[in-house]
Amino acid sequence: MSKSLGFEKLREILLKQDWEEREALAQKLNELDGQLNTRDQLEERVNPIIEDQEQKMQENFPALFGPQITETIKTQIKDSQDEVVEALYPIIGRMIKKYITNEIQKLSEKVDQQMELAFSWEGWKIRIKAWISGTPQKELMMSKLLDPKMEEIFIIEKDSGMLMGSFSKNQTIDQDMIAGMLTAIKAFVEDAFKGGEQELDGIDYDNYKIIVKSFKSFYIAVVTSGGMSAEFKDRLDTTMIDFADKVLKKARKGEKEELDQKRLSGQLEEYFNDFENVDQ
Amino acid sequence: MSISKKVILVGHFGVGKTSLIRQFVHQKFSEEYLTTIGVKIDKKEMTMDGIEVTLIIWDIAGETDQNKVPKSYQLGAHGVLYVFDVTRPSTYNNLHEQLNHLNRLLPSAPIEVLANKVDLVTEEECNSLLDQIDYPELIKTSAKTGNNVEHAFMSLTRRMI
Repeated sequence: MSKSLGFEKLREILLKQDWEEREALAQKLNELDGQLNTRDQLEERVNPIIEDQEQKMQENFPALFGPQITETIKTQIKDSQDEVVEALYPIIGRMIKKYITNEIQKLSEKVDQQMELAFSWEGWKIRIKAWISGTPQKELMMSKLLDPKMEEIFIIEKDSGMLMGSFSKNQTIDQDMIAGMLTAIKAFVEDAFKGGEQELDGIDYDNYKIIVKSFKSFYIAVVTSGGMSAEFKDRLDTTMIDFADKVLKKARKGEKEELDQKRLSGQLEEYFNDFENVDQ
Repeated sequence: MSISKKVILVGHFGVGKTSLIRQFVHQKFSEEYLTTIGVKIDKKEMTMDGIEVTLIIWDIAGETDQNKVPKSYQLGAHGVLYVFDVTRPSTYNNLHEQLNHLNRLLPSAPIEVLANKVDLVTEEECNSLLDQIDYPELIKTSAKTGNNVEHAFMSLTRRMI
């Protein structure tokens, strides 16, 4: 055996393991390189992680970014106060005005009632009658008043004036025609007296009053009879908003058949048939 | 199945819009002229191809220019009847312009154009006049004799359903 051959053999014995390890390492490196530089393979490995992060982010979004977003919005609003006021003023202004007018009317009615009750000859008569008959004074007072009643209710599409649904306690004239004419009258008033974005909210005729409540794409018109009180109007208002919110908005979001005239009319009946009898 | 459609009748004043509706809905005609103020609404129920159709007909006061008609009367209309008077050129001289305006305002609503009062002119006069107007598919009507009135409304209804 020559010297160099012996050396070669020794080298092989000593370094064989290193070579094998290096080989395995190179292979591993190649694989990693492939995974990093081939989009498909990289996506396969990385996507689950990203999705996981996304899910976590969605779940914790309010906690993670809520304060910053609120802060940004606050700053934005603060910096552009004029624009915000300009956009909201007409809407809020009208709402506040309406609310205050309504509340003052309610207060004034209550004061009137108290005054009348305390000082009128009628009040004394009722007191005496109540004392003699033993009937509570409150009941006698109530029977004297002509209770306001809801006669008919219509839901009407704003632009076209087409009847979407109606409910009437005593069938009167053609309801499609009423819906059309009401829309025409409403359009006429709103066009003729250009009061900006104002809308007609009622029509009075003798013992009847039509209350109109406008929503975005439709409006509700309620025909009432009897002495209209702010209290009654308030309750009617709330019921109309509630109806629009629960029935109409749901119907708009859902299937078209929810807006079917018969179906809506049925729901109106459910909502408003017992309107006067429900406790205030 | 039943559906409701809003139809508007527009055109210059005195062309016979109200008379056409009277003839179509009530089969009546009167020589007396009463100008429409604002708008008048009528209703006609009919059955077409097994569908019950309710037409809510808006008789809108005549205007020389459709721009002057309150938009709120026209909005939401499913079909339009544009009426002119064959005896008065001023009622059809601006026809194309008026139709363009209506098309812009109500892009999806079909429009039928009615040449009304044909009973007042001879057939030749009428034809030469309609040649001048150059509008395809005009419907020659007479609210007085009832000629083509039903056909006009039916034709519009068919296009709406």
